[in-house]
Amino acid sequence: MDQFIQQIFTGLSIGSILLLVALGLSIIYGSMGIINLAHGEFVMLGAYGAWLMQTKFGLGLFASLVPIFLLVALFGWLIERFVLSFLNNRPLDTILATWGVGIMLQQAVRLTVGGELRYVKMPELLSSSTEVLGVQVSLYRIFLLGMAVVLFALTWLLMNRTTVGMKLRAIIQDRSIAASFGVNSRRIYGLTFAYGAGLAGLAGALVSPLKSVSPEMGTTYVIDAFMVVVLGGVQSLIGTVASAFILGELSGAIAFLQNDTVAKATVLLAIVVLIRFKPQGMFSARVRA
Amino acid sequence: MPLHNSASSSASGRPSIELITILVVCAIIFAVPTLLNNDYLLNKLARYLVLGILAMSLSLSWGYAGILNLGQAMSFGLGSYAMAMTLKLKTVPVHTGPQGLPDFMVWNNVTSLPWFWQPFESHLFAICAGMLVPAAVAAALGWFMFRGRVTGVYVAIITLAAMVVLNLVIIDQQQYTGGFNGITDLAQLEYFGIAFDAYSRATYYLVSFCLTGALLLAYAFTQTKAGLIIQAIRDHESRVRYFGYDVGAYQIAAFALSAAIAGLAGMLYTIVMEFASPTFLGVQLSLSVVVWCAVGGRQSLLGALLGAILVAGVQGALSESAAFVETWTLVMGALFVLIVLFLPKGLAGLAGSLWTLLQWRRVDGISPVRQFHQTEGGHERLSSAE
Repeated sequence: MDQFIQQIFTGLSIGSILLLVALGLSIIYGSMGIINLAHGEFVMLGAYGAWLMQTKFGLGLFASLVPIFLLVALFGWLIERFVLSFLNNRPLDTILATWGVGIMLQQAVRLTVGGELRYVKMPELLSSSTEVLGVQVSLYRIFLLGMAVVLFALTWLLMNRTTVGMKLRAIIQDRSIAASFGVNSRRIYGLTFAYGAGLAGLAGALVSPLKSVSPEMGTTYVIDAFMVVVLGGVQSLIGTVASAFILGELSGAIAFLQNDTVAKATVLLAIVVLIRFKPQGMFSARVRA
Repeated sequence: MPLHNSASSSASGRPSIELITILVVCAIIFAVPTLLNNDYLLNKLARYLVLGILAMSLSLSWGYAGILNLGQAMSFGLGSYAMAMTLKLKTVPVHTGPQGLPDFMVWNNVTSLPWFWQPFESHLFAICAGMLVPAAVAAALGWFMFRGRVTGVYVAIITLAAMVVLNLVIIDQQQYTGGFNGITDLAQLEYFGIAFDAYSRATYYLVSFCLTGALLLAYAFTQTKAGLIIQAIRDHESRVRYFGYDVGAYQIAAFALSAAIAGLAGMLYTIVMEFASPTFLGVQLSLSVVVWCAVGGRQSLLGALLGAILVAGVQGALSESAAFVETWTLVMGALFVLIVLFLPKGLAGLAGSLWTLLQWRRVDGISPVRQFHQTEGGHERLSSAE
């Protein structure tokens, strides 16, 4: 029984990291139709941000979260403004362009900071573990789960209860009609991409105490996050949450029963089959074409 | 609306010009060894030519059929492993079991040759398998995707995921595939009484010969009726479907042909590199192929081929110095982004536009700008209307 609960917690922990990374991707892909392969690099930038704040300015992880969010968001805004806004209606080319941007970011970091592994200290407060339901769980992992839920709630409010969110939803439904009602779609797109990038940066900063920080760290995240978005269904935030935790539990369980490789391969195959038969994802929102 | 610049302008005679260019390039490739008497450089060059074949195969599926296959390296890797398996069985292993097992099998306590290794005792079987297995895998994957009318971005995701799965399986099944290290210590391919040493003219000529054959085959395919329908599907899938064509069947055919050529390239790569490794079907290589194609011109077989030789060649030349390579990757990323943004047809498209501008005096009554819009802009407008 203990082992079972332990397993559930492992799955929740994987799921919360997946959700943190996938949330930004889901917004960018769902609302702008951009396949952002540079998303992993935004995560990487966030992790480096945390490392830089800690080693150069002596800031703790909590204090650096806001500046990291703003910096990476600014980065995203610049990329949207100067690269992606040229690629309207060419979704396949966004894959290529963002991949190119990703390579450049990776290489730029390697050239300036160096390619070696970096480590970020966990906040003192959260470095112990506590007993939940009879098993030992690290406090930091509980904190991550909490952050994932909070960020999801914020995003949901932003999309559904603010003017910017309403405008974005209008653009998703019909860009030209929204424009004729005076919605400035370029500005909204820029803000959306910046927000998505900022979320990725936060995700990177938050996972940095658990993993080693390197220029290549983003590549693993982007594929996993993509699978979450595809599984959950484009334009469905709830779907993203559900699929993040389903995938988390699933890969946790298969990895426990078999091994990591089998887990990864099975999950990928399952998603391929899902795309074929239900390309709109499991929890798709109804969209007018 | 012309289907495509190569197929459309029979009046200006461009198909024949394309064919002539292809033949001239192949002739130059064949002539290189007479000028270059350095086996080391020839080996390097042969390697770039092989990567050129790979890029050309992607151009067939991406540029002509509109199928962005991010897993093109899967076919390449399958071909490369087929060749490596047959060559491995011809080596004199250092540590062998009772039946002359490959060394890594002995290390992993495999006692007898697995059934799927046994046919690879025959080179002929391996060479056929190196092309037919990728083609069959691609046909199966194509059937799975195109019968379900999966398009665009989802094709890219499925092909990428399929390749990652195969890569994981190969690394995981160490006892049968050599795992992370791949298959090394290979014998030389001997066929028709010729030994194809990686550092020899024979290998270079073999690669050149296969390159010419593959290029002409792909070119011929694009000129057939099926080739034209493929391009029509790329430009407007549902319109072709309304005409009563079986869109899925054409897509599967193009996808499988492209995979077979990539498999051929993979086999040659094993001969040139003298090993096979899981990186041959890795994400890195697969996305690089897309870059080469985009730089050279995705809608031009020759453009993609030369793009690969150019980019991989420059990268290879700079790899002598670590600092250069680091900066080069940065420059390469920027160049790639710029080309995607402003030159969607790559260098070949640029060359085509220049050619049109040079020719404008000969075409009465049509200004170069209008002609440019007819061949280039028209297509953009159509695809953006979707």
